[in-house]
Amino acid sequence: MDGLIIGLDLCDAYTHICCYDREKTWNIPTAICRKKDEDAWYVGEEAYAYTLVGEGIIVDKLIQMVKKDGTATLGGIKYEGLELLKIYLKMILKLPMQEFFSEEVKQLVVTMQKVDAKLMDALMYCADFLGIPRERVHIINHTEGFVYYVLSQKKEVWSNQVCVFDLSEGSFHYHEMKVQRGLRKSMVIAEDKALEESFNLDILKTASGEKLGDKILKSCGERLLLNKLFSSVFLTGKGFSRHDWAKDSMKFLCSKRKVYMEPVLFARGAAYRGMDYLREKTAYPYTFICKGRLHSTVSMRVLHKERESELLVASAGDNWYEAKSSVDLIVDNQDYVEFMVTPIDPKKKRSVKIQLEKFPERPPRTTRIGISFGFLDENTMAVVVKDKGFGDLFPATDVMIKQEVML
Amino acid sequence: MSLILCRQEPVTHPFYFEELGVRLFSSQELCYVIYHNPLLVLDKFVNQRLIDFIRDDLDMALLAAKLVNMQQEEEEDEELLVTILHECDYYCGAEINQFRQKLVSYKRMSEADYLKEKGDFLFTGKQYGKAVYEYQKILELKKGSRGEAAFMAKVYNNLGASYGRLFMMEKAYYSFLKSFELVKNQEVLKRIYHLLQWSPSLKPKDCVTSLLTEELKQECELEKEKAEEMAQKAASLKKLDELFQKDSIKRLEGAGEMIQKWKQEYRNIMS
Repeated sequence: MDGLIIGLDLCDAYTHICCYDREKTWNIPTAICRKKDEDAWYVGEEAYAYTLVGEGIIVDKLIQMVKKDGTATLGGIKYEGLELLKIYLKMILKLPMQEFFSEEVKQLVVTMQKVDAKLMDALMYCADFLGIPRERVHIINHTEGFVYYVLSQKKEVWSNQVCVFDLSEGSFHYHEMKVQRGLRKSMVIAEDKALEESFNLDILKTASGEKLGDKILKSCGERLLLNKLFSSVFLTGKGFSRHDWAKDSMKFLCSKRKVYMEPVLFARGAAYRGMDYLREKTAYPYTFICKGRLHSTVSMRVLHKERESELLVASAGDNWYEAKSSVDLIVDNQDYVEFMVTPIDPKKKRSVKIQLEKFPERPPRTTRIGISFGFLDENTMAVVVKDKGFGDLFPATDVMIKQEVML
Repeated sequence: MSLILCRQEPVTHPFYFEELGVRLFSSQELCYVIYHNPLLVLDKFVNQRLIDFIRDDLDMALLAAKLVNMQQEEEEDEELLVTILHECDYYCGAEINQFRQKLVSYKRMSEADYLKEKGDFLFTGKQYGKAVYEYQKILELKKGSRGEAAFMAKVYNNLGASYGRLFMMEKAYYSFLKSFELVKNQEVLKRIYHLLQWSPSLKPKDCVTSLLTEELKQECELEKEKAEEMAQKAASLKKLDELFQKDSIKRLEGAGEMIQKWKQEYRNIMS
C-alpha cells in the first residue's frame, strides 16, 4: 500500500481527518486524556468517556495551549502544550493509517482557522516527533483549504464567486473567493471574516433558538452576498450537521445559486493540496491572493553571465511560511543590497535598500555575502545578510545584518 | 555597481595555491588569483590537480573536459587561463582581454626580464624566499642572456633587499656590494650603510669603508630618523595599540588572531 495523503483540519474544538481519494473521514473532538494511574492516553470521545467515569484527566483547547506556552499537570506530571499536541497528533494519525493499512505519510497538510509562525514551528516539531520528514508537512489556513476544495470541484461550481459559512461551537466564519482571469496567469482572490454573530449551538435545541439561528444566518447571508454574483454557497461546521433549523436562510441562499453541505470541507481541501505537492506540475495554476500567501513579489537585480537579470526571491501567492531561500552574491563596488517589492498592482512597485554597514572594506568583488530570506507573516520579510569574505584571500568576519522589511 | 550571482559550488577540498600560500574555495577566488597574479600562473598552473578541483569541487565538468582537451592539443598556457576566466563568469570580456594582453606582453619578454618581473612581483607580495629563487635563476643564466650591467645591478639590488628581509644579512650585504660594483649607485651604498648599522657583526671591506663619507652617513641617519618617525605612525602599530586598550578577553582573542596572521605572513616570507 502506498503512503497516505492526509488533510487534517485542526481546531481547538474539533479535528477532521480525511485522506485524498478516500471516502472515509474522521471527526474527533480535540481533546486528550491521560489515565490517572497509568501512562495511557485517549483522544476525542474516548477521552471524554474516561474523564466522565473519573478514570482520566482531560485537556482540551490544545491549540490555545501551544500558542500560549501553557502547561497541564496530568497524573502528577507537568506536560507542555507542545508535548500534548505531539501525543494527540500521533494518536489521531493512527486512525487513517490503521484503516487504510498504511505505514507511511506521503503528505500531511494541516489546515487551521488562523496560523502564525509559532504554531507552524510547533507543528514542525510535531512532525519531527512523528518521524514525518518536514518537507512532507505543510500548513495552510482555512481560506486556502476552502480555495483548494472549491477549485477541485467542477468548473461550474466556481464560475462565479463562491463562499462558505463555517458555523462551529462559538465561532462563525465566512470565506469567499473568486477566480480572476488574467492575460498571463489567473488569480484567485479569497478573503475571510470572523462574523460577530456567532452563537452557542445549544440554542438550536429549542424551537425559539432555531428561529433565532435562522434569522442570524439569513441576515448574514443578505449582508455578505448582497450585489455579488455567487455560483455556489457551501455550508460547513458542526452547526450545519443538520439544517432543518435554517429554513428561511436556505430559501434565501438557494435562490440563483447552488448550496452544498460539506462537513469536512477544509480537511478535504487540505488533502487536495497535499496531492498537488506530489504533482510535477500544479493542477492549480493560479496566483493565490489570500491570508497565508504573499501579496507581493520580491526580487533582486543581479549580474549573471554579464547580464543584469531579475532574481526572484519570492512570488506573490507563495505560502509565506514555505517561501524561504538563500543566495550568495558578490558585491561589486556597492555598499548596499536592494530588493524590488512588486505588489499585485505593479504601479506600486518600490525598492528597499539595506546598507552593508560595518562590512569590511575590501577591493571590488572580494566580498561574498550570503543572504537568507524568510517571512514572519504575509507582510513581513526577514532578511539576514552575512559577510562570507573571499576565502583565505579576504577572510570572512562575523558581521551580520538582520532586518525586517515590510512588504 | 552590481551584485554578482554566485553559482553553488560544493567545494569539500579547497585548492591550495602554493605560490600565495592560500586555499581557494570558489571559482571566483580562482579567477581572482589568476587575474591578479599572472606571473605566478603563467607557467603550468593549469595542471591535473587544478583540473580535478574544477571538475570535482567546483562541479564544472564541462570546463574540466575543455581544459583536458586543450592540453592534449598542446594549447598555450595563456589560452587555458583565459578559458577559465571566460567560463567562470567573474570578469567581463573587456577585463579578460586586458588580461590576455598582459600575458602576451610577458611572453614577449626576454627570459631575464621575465624572471626579474616575477621576482619583483613576489617581492611586492612579501614572498621574499620565492623572489630570491627567481633572482638566482637570472644569475644562473648564460652571460649573454643575463642583460646589461645596469639590469644586473638592479637584480643584485633586489636580491639584496630580499635577503635583507629574510634576515640573511651577509648575503644581503654581498648582493648590494655586487650591485654597487656594477653601477656605483649612491642609493645602494646607503643601503649598505644601513645594513652595517643593523648588523654590526658584518665586516665591511676597506673599499666600502672609504666610500662611506661623513656626508653620506649624515644623510643616512636623517633617513633613518624619518623612517622611524613613519614607523611610529604605522597603521599596524595603531591597531596593536587599540588591541591593548581592549578588555582582557578581547585582547587575548585579538592577539591570537594577530599572531596567527603574523605566522602566516612569516611562513609566506620564508617559503
